[in-house]
Amino acid sequence: MEFIIIISSLLIASLIAILAKHRIIVECVSISASAVALIESFVVAFKVALSGDYTPFAFFSVDALGALLMLIISCVGFAAVAYSIPYLRKETADNIIGFTRVKQYFTLFSLFLGAMFLAISSSSPIFAWIAIEATTLSTAFLISFYNKPSSMEAAWKYLIINSIGLLLGFFGTLLYFTSIDSSLGNGFISWHILTTNAIHMDPLLAKMAFVFVLIGYGTKVGLAPMHTWLPDAHSKAPAPISALLSGVLLNVALVIVLKFKIITDSVIDQSFSQTLLIVFGILSILISALIILSQKSYKRLLAYSSIENMGIIALGFGFGGLGVMAAILHTIYHSLIKSALFFLSGNFLLKYHSAKIANVKGALKALPITSILFLIGFFAITGAPPFGIFLTKLLTFSAGITVHPVITIMAILLTAIVFIGFFKHASAMVFGGKPSEIKEEKESTWLILPPLVLLILVLVLSFYQPPFLQVLIHNSTLYYK
Amino acid sequence: MNIFFLQFLLGILFLSIFYLHLAKKNFGAVIAYSIQSLIITLILLTSFLETNSFFLLFVVLVTLVIKVILAPIFFLRLIQRHKLTFSVSTYLNLPLTLIVLAGFTAIAHSQKFLSLTNIIPVHHALLSLALSAFFVSLFLIINRKDALSQAIGILSLENSIVAFAIFAGLEQSPMLQFGIIFDIFIWLVIATVFISMIYRHFGSLDTSSMKHLKD
Repeated sequence: MEFIIIISSLLIASLIAILAKHRIIVECVSISASAVALIESFVVAFKVALSGDYTPFAFFSVDALGALLMLIISCVGFAAVAYSIPYLRKETADNIIGFTRVKQYFTLFSLFLGAMFLAISSSSPIFAWIAIEATTLSTAFLISFYNKPSSMEAAWKYLIINSIGLLLGFFGTLLYFTSIDSSLGNGFISWHILTTNAIHMDPLLAKMAFVFVLIGYGTKVGLAPMHTWLPDAHSKAPAPISALLSGVLLNVALVIVLKFKIITDSVIDQSFSQTLLIVFGILSILISALIILSQKSYKRLLAYSSIENMGIIALGFGFGGLGVMAAILHTIYHSLIKSALFFLSGNFLLKYHSAKIANVKGALKALPITSILFLIGFFAITGAPPFGIFLTKLLTFSAGITVHPVITIMAILLTAIVFIGFFKHASAMVFGGKPSEIKEEKESTWLILPPLVLLILVLVLSFYQPPFLQVLIHNSTLYYK
Repeated sequence: MNIFFLQFLLGILFLSIFYLHLAKKNFGAVIAYSIQSLIITLILLTSFLETNSFFLLFVVLVTLVIKVILAPIFFLRLIQRHKLTFSVSTYLNLPLTLIVLAGFTAIAHSQKFLSLTNIIPVHHALLSLALSAFFVSLFLIINRKDALSQAIGILSLENSIVAFAIFAGLEQSPMLQFGIIFDIFIWLVIATVFISMIYRHFGSLDTSSMKHLKD
């Protein structure tokens, strides 16, 4: 029932956004739908924590990691809608967009959220693929939202690269079906059937299938070297969409990779999938660290930070053991912090009308609360104590140092470079004198509240996780180790 | 169904994708895509004749309407509206392109991919050809500079995967196949809109001229 409520409320919100004649209706319906999704996600998460996998219909099934992802999608989704309303109002006031654009935005926004819920809760890998493809299709127009040549370029790149990636992922998915007797499941093959029949798969074919899946869905995850669409798309989309792309969508695609990893690991030694995750992980950290140092745009800076963090998560799953728990926790913290940082980047953009780091000076004077929160977010995302990412990095590197010491030391050095690069840019933006044309005005509470709540949530979760969340993290770790 | 007939159909599909690399005019490329989609529809029809599943017949009809009729119409209208007679050039010149294509075809038929092409041993030749079509389509997207050819390349890649799946016995339930085709249709609509927008913004479909985004 919960799924029907979540999906139908988002679909209805999307439909009303197309038909509505008044802005307030579009906004109220969108925020109500995301609130419903948030409540129902908590209901599903409690059910999974209490009784294990939740399968209300043949087409839907949620395990512990799926429940965690549903919570992330709904929390960030709700915060993104709450932030979008004042953000788009300000853009309308500045004559950047009109009402038609607002309608288009909320229509696609709800569809995007719905597609992510479907991808994560689908019991069939093909159904999940269709949903992941739907996330690409629903966000393409959100990336080209401002209808500028640069946003068009980013959107086309996003569409083509992700379509290639997803087709490769589709091909890899089909290869896993070779283990199945075609009479099973009436043609509807679930993750469960695939996992239980994996032993019948040719090991060499399993290796090829995983490579296709990792490269394919890895494109959507933003793992290097398939990451090239990510900085463009995340920097050109409206800030709340960047938050959802970076904080949520990358993780949704990663969960699909992990589901295939479990199947592959039951056919061949898990060192194969782990090695691949480590290679792509360290490459992602390396590329992002080098580019972050010389970055000129703060939105691209955040996008590259996402690539780095997805690399760390991939390393965690690659190292195994303690690294898996660290990766799951890192996923939660990264989603919340990165979304908050993208919201704050939206505040900078609204004030300075530029995404260039060089054009944002003295933000502490112009936007004091945003700047302080941005600095807090910077410390949180780079793994400074007391934030949870400090612990997850420590755990990941502890897990890695015994099995892959060289890679781990490399990763530690590279994350230090990321810290230096990020600090250089963040301090250049926040400190110093502000340009004279930038006025000192009271900051909008509604633009501050969503990132503030997310950062408080991260801080709380860094010290205390409620029992149901602990159960979900524990069960996810056991299953995906 | 006679395996030689299927091989003949798949051969035409492969040649149509091969032709996409050589096509200088967009009209020819669209017709080539239409032909390869018709081949896929015919191959799906043979599956229907073997199973007599009416759901599969529905999938065949939807494939026919979307891939053979609607997709070419969308692309031809685009060509007419923006007078896109000629396709933009490739990154590699023709001799190099042909060498790469020969290389991909040889690799697809090599021992390296035996585990893929021997999923159903009697279909080894068919699967090798479908895999060649897969690689050749992938290279088309990479090598072509214009947005229209890239879009046709994506759709050809999807056709190649469908062909591979059919001959490897990996067909999905008709409901999921319908979902996939519906996804492809939405993709097609969005890609067509984007191609039109790219032309309006850049004055051509040359994606190599898009250089606004750099680190």
